[in-house]
Amino acid sequence: MENTRPITTYQAAAILISTIIGVGVLPLPLFAVQAGDTGAPLVTLLGMVLGAIGLFILTFLGIRHPEKTIITYSEDIIGKVLGRICSLFVILFFFVLTGLAAREFGEVVVTGVLQETPLEVTVIVMLLLACISCRNAINVFSYIHNFYLPMLVAPVLIVVALSLKNADPLYLRPIIGTNLPHMLFGTLTISALFQGSFIITMIIPFMKNPKKAIKASLFGISISGGLYLLLVIATVAVFGAEEIKQIFWPTLELARTTALPGNVLQRLDVIFLAVWVTAVFTTLFSSYYFTIYSIQQLLHLQDHKMLSCSIFPFVFISAMLPQNLIQMYEFIKFVGRVGLLITILYPGILLIIDFIKNRRRKENASQQT
Amino acid sequence: MVLFKSSQRMKKLEYGKGSEPCAVLSSSLDETTAGIKQVLGDNDDLVIKSFKVFGQYEAAIFYFSNLVKQDSINHDILKPLMYVPDHLKDRNRPLSQLAELITKETLYHSQAQPEQSMEKVIEFILCGETVLIIDGMEEAIHIGTRNVEKRSISQPETEQVILGPREGFIENIQTNLALLRYRLPTPDFQVKTMKIGRLTQSTAAYCYLKGIADENVVQEVERRLSEIEIDAIMDVGYLEQFIEDNPFSPFPQIQSTERPDKTVANLAEGRVAIFVDGSPFALLVPVVFNQFYQTTEDYSSRFMMGSFVRMARMLALVFSLIFPALYVSFISFNPELLPTEFAIAVAGGRAGVPYPAVVEVLIIEVAMEVLREATVRLPKQVGGALSIVGVLVVGQAAVEAGLASPITVVAIALTTIGSFATPAYSAAFALRMLRFPIMILAGIFGLYGVVIGIIFIFNHMLSLKSFGVPYMAPVSPENYQGMKDVVFRAPLWLMPRRPAFLNSRNRRRLSQSNKRNGFDHE
Repeated sequence: MENTRPITTYQAAAILISTIIGVGVLPLPLFAVQAGDTGAPLVTLLGMVLGAIGLFILTFLGIRHPEKTIITYSEDIIGKVLGRICSLFVILFFFVLTGLAAREFGEVVVTGVLQETPLEVTVIVMLLLACISCRNAINVFSYIHNFYLPMLVAPVLIVVALSLKNADPLYLRPIIGTNLPHMLFGTLTISALFQGSFIITMIIPFMKNPKKAIKASLFGISISGGLYLLLVIATVAVFGAEEIKQIFWPTLELARTTALPGNVLQRLDVIFLAVWVTAVFTTLFSSYYFTIYSIQQLLHLQDHKMLSCSIFPFVFISAMLPQNLIQMYEFIKFVGRVGLLITILYPGILLIIDFIKNRRRKENASQQT
Repeated sequence: MVLFKSSQRMKKLEYGKGSEPCAVLSSSLDETTAGIKQVLGDNDDLVIKSFKVFGQYEAAIFYFSNLVKQDSINHDILKPLMYVPDHLKDRNRPLSQLAELITKETLYHSQAQPEQSMEKVIEFILCGETVLIIDGMEEAIHIGTRNVEKRSISQPETEQVILGPREGFIENIQTNLALLRYRLPTPDFQVKTMKIGRLTQSTAAYCYLKGIADENVVQEVERRLSEIEIDAIMDVGYLEQFIEDNPFSPFPQIQSTERPDKTVANLAEGRVAIFVDGSPFALLVPVVFNQFYQTTEDYSSRFMMGSFVRMARMLALVFSLIFPALYVSFISFNPELLPTEFAIAVAGGRAGVPYPAVVEVLIIEVAMEVLREATVRLPKQVGGALSIVGVLVVGQAAVEAGLASPITVVAIALTTIGSFATPAYSAAFALRMLRFPIMILAGIFGLYGVVIGIIFIFNHMLSLKSFGVPYMAPVSPENYQGMKDVVFRAPLWLMPRRPAFLNSRNRRRLSQSNKRNGFDHE
């Protein structure tokens, strides 16, 4: 009676959007400005394109193997041993990503809202939330993402719309930026923010219609990327590139400068942070789920539920590894760039090998006949 | 009633010790009488009346004097049996044909059936039927003379409406089913009954519309009901606890209602209704969460009015869950969010209060819960007085004594009123309970704690299922057609389909030729 392919195209797109929009929303304008000064929107756009390339490679791979995830089809493509080793790296990467997202979240909360609460407590609470939610089946996973989607998109749009009255379009010029090689390097950092889109490889085997994954990817990347772009444009237009470099979380600052008309609430930043918790949760939830689901597939286990609790302490430890905020962001940038090898290069190689193999198989078949 | 002839499962009755009755009736009247007396003889209200059928055969009838319609026994049973009817006077009346002769040609009663098992015979007597036993015949004849006092149909107490029908279910299951039958004169309306409860032998019934309800759900209901093994069923709530999907969830996964019109509306959407004798409530499955803040009035009034009232109710729902928690986190963590004038007023009000905001709110909330419970239990005349005393005197005094700030009292009052606005008692109760953990989270983590708590609750709700239907449908999993009936209520002519999540085989509820159907593209 239970449907084995419950996820609709809309839900797949929702999963992508809410996975991509996460902790990164806060430092995003800073990263973009550091890379390209006034060219920040352009850098963001380039990063988005790079992220989209990775996503589409994965989507094509998924459509070619509609029953399998990257963990299982990599064994078919590059052999059992090599495939498993690579899968191990993928899992390790998402494991670290989960820890880092929780840590980054904890840092923001401790700095921004709850100054006297220990960092460990906020991180543990957030990880626990993800850990417990991960005990559900994949259809509940998609329901959760689907449900929270409006709550992620709306606050960003509201803050952007309300901040426009302080905006100065002059800050956005020159659009191309000044230092081109530096910009291209920064693009890598930005595109690392789109790494959550890797989740598509887990979704495709559960989609009602795997062929439509392309459509879902297209919507997912363009909506999340569009939001990022809007955010960067608004932040740069309000503060200007030089000022942003002095601020750690420019998006939060943007929320702070805006007020609801009518003086209902004096400030919006805390409300923004509160809603942003949801965004962090969905991202954390995705990477946590991906990690345990992949472990389950790698080890051919029956169930992923018990894994959810058993990896919890290790995720927590990995979250606590960076010594401080500065080190953490260095680490995040580093992991992000290394991650590009895993999320773009590795699937790219897989796709090429798969393509060649398939061709050869066809040639063989035609020779035999 | 013909409906009840299909009793699917008769569980073994538990008799007193050492009184195992013989399985089949013997042909001797004395032996049978002795057998029945052995089981039921201690009861003074058991009547055994001996007489002669047609002046020829020794016979006796057995019944419980206070469970039967005495008139009917005298006129419809005893009279035709003792005084040979005209059309039988000249005929031969042999013992071998007696059973048929009596049931078909003599008794003035539509519910007369032969029965051979001793166990059944005793059960019939216990249920209020009259059993006729004739010497030399191996069958007994049981006649439906049951007559139990019941109250009249009155307005449902728990689900009042301003516009709409005034009828409510009563305790008697036959009346309840009759209330449905008269609204649904269609052969598709199916009623299935079974006996549940070893001691109470309660008649449980589940009804659905064939071709509209999902067969899988119907089968699932049948399966879950038949697995219940309990001695006594007092109310349909007993069944609910046995058949719900997740008993550890604070949220109700089955809706109970007192209203026949609501039941029929739900049957027509493709749900299954469950009744049990002795309970004035029907259970409706499967349910989704948004049903709990909807009323029948939403549909019977014009759509703008219905939508507006529904939105107000949703707001009340949200209020009853998070308002005190928001208050606590604003006051103790983020007073800078409030407009300055208001923040000063709040601080002034709280000047004499010794506790942190969370303790203050918790004290008042607990007091409120106690008051509310007391008001429900008290007789009506006293209840009114108590609520005035509680609200006015205690609230006022608490503020003056410096136990609470006036704004806290306002906040709690809003919350309490908000929780009364939810039409479904069980759902309101779930949120009422969950309010406390969120308040405590707010006291520890502020706004961040509130959000964590809400995410936790939503995730739980999203993972719930009621008879295979996701609890948060049609919001997630999404369904465009279904969204027309969640936050607002679209005009009836704009909702041509039954809810998709119920997997009805027959999707359309408006016919194709509907005049306003031009709006329905597809």
